[in-house]
Amino acid sequence: MDSAFIPNGVRRCAPGKFLVVLAVAGAVLLWGVYAMLLCWFKGLNQTNMNNNYGFALWIWADLAVIALGGGAFFTGFLRYIIGKDELKNIVNYAVLIGFICYSSALLILAIDIGQPLRGWFIFWHANVHSMLTEVAFCLSCYFGVLTIEYIPLILENRGIDRVPFLHHLGHNMHDIMAVFAATGAFLSFFHQGSLGGVAGVLFGRPFSYREGFFIWPWTFFLFTWSAAAYGPCFTLLITKITEAVTGKKLVKDNVVELLAKISGWMMVTYIIAKIVDTLYWANVTAPSKGLTLMDFYSHNAFYGVWILILEIVIGGIIPAAILITDKGRKSPAARTTAFVLAVIGVCVNRWVMVLQVMAAPVMTFDKWALYYPSWQEVATTILPVAYGVILIAISYRYLPIFPQEPELNPID
Amino acid sequence: MKAEENHGNTKKFGMVIDLDVCTGCGSCMVACMAENNVPFRKDESDKLKSITWMRVYKLSNGKPYPETDICYLPRPCQHCEGHEGHSPCVSVCPATATDYDMQTGIVSQIYTRCFGCRYCMAACPYHARYFNWYDPVWPKGMEKYLNPDVSVRMRGVVEKCSFCIQRYQAAKNRAFMEGKADIEEGDYQTACTQACPAGAITFGDLNNPAHAVYKLKKQPNAFRLLERLGTNPKIYYLSSREWVRRAGDNYLKNEGPAKIG
Amino acid sequence: MKIDRRSFLSLGIGVAAGTAFSPLPWKLMDDVSIWTQNWPWTPVPAKGESTWVNSVCTLCPGSCGISVRKVDDRGVKIEGMKDHPVNQGGICSLGLAGLQLLYSPDRVKTPLKRAGKRGEGKWVSISWDQAISEVAGKLKELITGGQAHTVAGITGGGPNTLSRLFKRFLTAYGSPNFFNIPSIDDSYRLALQMMNGATPDATVGLDLENTDFILSFGCGLLDGWGSPVHMFKTNTAWRKTQARVIQIEPRLSRTAAKAYQWIPITPGSEGALALGIANVLITESLYRKDFVDNYTSGFEGVVNASGELQKGFKQHVLDNFSPKAVSELTGLDPAAITLLAREFAKAKAPIALFGRGQGKLPGSMDEALAIHALNMLMGAINQKGGIYALPTPDSQTWPVVPPDAVADSGVKEPRLDGASSDAYSRLNQLPPAVLSGKPYPLNALLVMEANPLYTMSNSKAVQEAFDKIPLVVSFSSFMDETAQNSDLILPNHIYLERQEDAPLPAGFSKPVISLSKAVFKPLHNTQHAGDTLILLAKGLGGSVAETLPWKDFEACLKQAMGDKMEPLQKTGYWVNTGAVFPDGKTTFTTPSGKFEFASSAFCPGFTPVKIEGDASYPLLLIPYDTMRLASGYAANPPFDTKILEETILLHQDGLIEINPKTAQSMGLSENDRVLLQTPRGQANVLIHLEEGIMPGVIALPRGLGHTAYDAYIAGKGVNLNGLTGPVADPISGLDAAWGIKAKLSKA
Repeated sequence: MDSAFIPNGVRRCAPGKFLVVLAVAGAVLLWGVYAMLLCWFKGLNQTNMNNNYGFALWIWADLAVIALGGGAFFTGFLRYIIGKDELKNIVNYAVLIGFICYSSALLILAIDIGQPLRGWFIFWHANVHSMLTEVAFCLSCYFGVLTIEYIPLILENRGIDRVPFLHHLGHNMHDIMAVFAATGAFLSFFHQGSLGGVAGVLFGRPFSYREGFFIWPWTFFLFTWSAAAYGPCFTLLITKITEAVTGKKLVKDNVVELLAKISGWMMVTYIIAKIVDTLYWANVTAPSKGLTLMDFYSHNAFYGVWILILEIVIGGIIPAAILITDKGRKSPAARTTAFVLAVIGVCVNRWVMVLQVMAAPVMTFDKWALYYPSWQEVATTILPVAYGVILIAISYRYLPIFPQEPELNPID
Repeated sequence: MKAEENHGNTKKFGMVIDLDVCTGCGSCMVACMAENNVPFRKDESDKLKSITWMRVYKLSNGKPYPETDICYLPRPCQHCEGHEGHSPCVSVCPATATDYDMQTGIVSQIYTRCFGCRYCMAACPYHARYFNWYDPVWPKGMEKYLNPDVSVRMRGVVEKCSFCIQRYQAAKNRAFMEGKADIEEGDYQTACTQACPAGAITFGDLNNPAHAVYKLKKQPNAFRLLERLGTNPKIYYLSSREWVRRAGDNYLKNEGPAKIG
Repeated sequence: MKIDRRSFLSLGIGVAAGTAFSPLPWKLMDDVSIWTQNWPWTPVPAKGESTWVNSVCTLCPGSCGISVRKVDDRGVKIEGMKDHPVNQGGICSLGLAGLQLLYSPDRVKTPLKRAGKRGEGKWVSISWDQAISEVAGKLKELITGGQAHTVAGITGGGPNTLSRLFKRFLTAYGSPNFFNIPSIDDSYRLALQMMNGATPDATVGLDLENTDFILSFGCGLLDGWGSPVHMFKTNTAWRKTQARVIQIEPRLSRTAAKAYQWIPITPGSEGALALGIANVLITESLYRKDFVDNYTSGFEGVVNASGELQKGFKQHVLDNFSPKAVSELTGLDPAAITLLAREFAKAKAPIALFGRGQGKLPGSMDEALAIHALNMLMGAINQKGGIYALPTPDSQTWPVVPPDAVADSGVKEPRLDGASSDAYSRLNQLPPAVLSGKPYPLNALLVMEANPLYTMSNSKAVQEAFDKIPLVVSFSSFMDETAQNSDLILPNHIYLERQEDAPLPAGFSKPVISLSKAVFKPLHNTQHAGDTLILLAKGLGGSVAETLPWKDFEACLKQAMGDKMEPLQKTGYWVNTGAVFPDGKTTFTTPSGKFEFASSAFCPGFTPVKIEGDASYPLLLIPYDTMRLASGYAANPPFDTKILEETILLHQDGLIEINPKTAQSMGLSENDRVLLQTPRGQANVLIHLEEGIMPGVIALPRGLGHTAYDAYIAGKGVNLNGLTGPVADPISGLDAAWGIKAKLSKA
């Protein structure tokens, strides 16, 4: 039925099965859209956010997806700037995942703000001192870049490729992709760092505040570095999941291992820097404000030292250790475990940098404020997942995302 | 520029609140809401969703009966000066919807520009900023009492104590009409200051030696909230009780308000 | 033209690019943002000319001067009147929210007649003519049936002209049943009458500004006691003069927290502590001997009716109230009692005050006399910094009209509460009298500026009594519980819409009268209750009409105020600066002509008030008052409910204060839902752990648990009056209850 649009040399499931997948994901998507409309029409009282939690689940989701989407810029950076040519076999997918992550981030932001219809004031009345301004500008620009990086992929669709104009457009865009990859990497270095600054500059919040050298460049560096380190793990994890779902090997092990190795070493350096940062904060910054490390991890029902261990040891040191060793990297089970742990690690980091910041009391007579999201918040946060599934399903079906697929899965 | 940034000879409005005198009655809170068109809902018991520009906190010394002691602490916006006007909230607002006025030291909020990102709320350690989670609705007929000098805020924006800036504007206008060069201390007083039945709040220009706050802020019992964070707030508190002064900031075990200075 | 895929795509891209570069999307974006800044459903207050009108707030007996800001004819803000002698510019949270009462959509806007069952909330609007003729008709019927005395009137307005007119109306009509809402003022007046020979209509004066040591037996000096804002101002002045407040109560109230010292003692033992202090003062000869010797009697001995010399106050105290004995009663260390007495005696101008919380209930007379005896011992009577009786400003310049025969015999009938006059109305005795129908049934009840159905304790019995009264008429413009359960509502203007005199504020040092003005033209079809009374009198005709001869209330008020009316209209208040209190040597109308510590009729002692409940109730429930809760005729406006702490009201649930130790022993923790039971009733409440309350004692605030008014207060929390009941004081017959036994169980 749609065989004219399916890439050459690959096999795809029956249209019926494909539609069922789309329908299931579409239902979830509609649920999210319903919640989104509730938030837009009835206001943010639909959420469980409150005056102590101006930032909550959504901002975490934003920070998390941008970190996870960091695979796009870093893989592109490695492929086009550093010249790791093998990575061309995964860079398409990294771009697609990045595109999904960044478009989701923008969508969530549009739901998160109280006056979405004048959200553009962030550009019009921009305050250059604000981290959020920088984030908004770079995020939008980089989303543009990702779109441009994604378009040639779309144009490679067999049906579209038959239009001569589009064929040439795609061809020419391919040629200049290195420029966009460089632009993307440049922009990412900025906004990933600025996202670290979002919480790091809050001098009214001693839990996230970093002083002097430890805010600039340290915190900015930590966020960019962590996105570069953990983003590829997410790309690889999604690749692994795609392989499992499709039942096909899509990317050769040497490509996966190369990216995993780079990611592992990035993580090693990152986690050392993060530990240094934490030690300095715990021993110098916080005490200078009259607070000790344990003030931030006690007297409440949720946040304990476990979260610090989960983030740094379980979600940092362990996956890094797996990925930098040959043995760990070469074992599919260990490798996948490392990807999962790494994704958890970076998500916990972003969680802590958003939600624990809001939860910890600053005034001595204030109390810890714990929060759980409303279903509307959860639904709108799952919405991008459903949207991602749909976009991946469509892209996988109709676009040559995985260049090695025909070779790895020859049709008899 | 430099002189201006340091406030130079300009005004720097602030408050001194005597916690020995404050009884925690809540008049300041109601005076503020009545003056500034703050809405209300049928259930306001979730204090994390309730808009109270001025909020009275209840502090306890934490000791068991009968050694227990409590103290009430009214908390308006602290109008932080930070370092050269970089208050925690002003510097983070992406749309320049909140501003530090170098002429008055007042941290203002432009409701029509705010698009509700709430970054300023995340930045404020005093929880002085409030978000309009709901559309403001008054029972039929009750909107008659709304103050025409203060605009009603729409859903989805952040609001906070403005030091009743409309009263400053009115005082300046009056002074101009009367041909006076400047306003006097009594010409501009916030609604809470005026209402306080105990007279616990003193408001004025912290830079002006003729104003009462100028002397009061220098009393040995004076302290500010979270001074160690560098927020440089313009609300001073007075308390003769050591545990209250200590509750104003975070201290390590071996430290105390006196040691920090 | 053939549209192939290519041209279609090109066209699409062209249109998109063209639109993007046209001003359309940008203009739309801008317009939409402007729309969000002016949402039509967000109100825009109208501008206009701004004026200020001075008046007086009568929402509580405090009588603070207020300045109301108007923009054209809208009221936009109420502030404290700057130079008013009572509040000097300060204002409480209730007064500040007055406009919410004025503009409430739930007011009674026109005369209403009950359509459905009583309390069902079904009404028909009627005209004022019909309303007057219906009530006058019913009252006439009762006269014809010889039942004029079976009509009662309740007012909460205090001793102002409207109340006097109301009483005059009832008297002329032939009813002895005029009731004031009793409060601690009654106990003060009675104590002054018994011990100092004041007349019953005198008001207690307190020269608190000039005291330097305040021994407060549970008085919520900063919780609404006396004239609240005036007390706040006084407390601030005390800080400057370093006067000491000693707060004696089992709960760390706001007053206790601000006091120099908080002394928690066993609730109910306050009178014993007073006598223990007296014991130390006498034993150590710390009292003002010159004063006691020269101006008092009954100290050394009392000659009884049969001419025998009996023990006087001194011996009585020495025999029974040693610090050790008092220690057992109060739980206070004997040394602490001695120390407290010495401190009290050391002060230049000490004063001892009684009246728990806001003084809503009269309390035990025994306790009042014991505490007042301390003032006598220190000579703080009619002295600077002391306590004295202020004569009521002479305003009774109304014509005397002889009653007709019906009225004459009617007023000679016994009162339903068994009291000899309305000077000390035993309102708590009214429900049992109504229920028993003795000495006679109550046929009609008129309620003005009061909400007894909510404010009286033992709610269940009060409701049953109400159900038995054939005709209940309310004059309320609030749809309060009483109005809701009445047959006819003849709504009065709200305080901001009517002119009347505000009574002398309680506990003030000088006689002050303020004039409440009609700041606003009446918003609705209401009528001044004074005018309504005059119209009713006209409807009844005869001597009733003659006794209320004025054309309207304004004329009546003018005559009542006499030459004070001019200054009142000019400045809004009138201070009798000439009424300087006597210097302690004035003659008294006591039998002995001296201040009496004791007489053949009384001697201050300690008889604990009997608290209801047996051993199955292990806890003691006490009420408390807070400035953030109006618990009288006016209910909390929305702003005041908004500022209630979440430890008092959480969503629709009220919270009960309990010491963590007590709670722990019962396995209860914060916000647990429990069933609170007392011998009088039960309610569901949430637990609030509070270190500042004595173990074994639990406390609920007054002012919640409304079933009427509006959705901003109705259905929230628990009405304490449903859980407590009155205890008749053996001396005054007034309500002496201060608490009740209670138990908690997990709900």
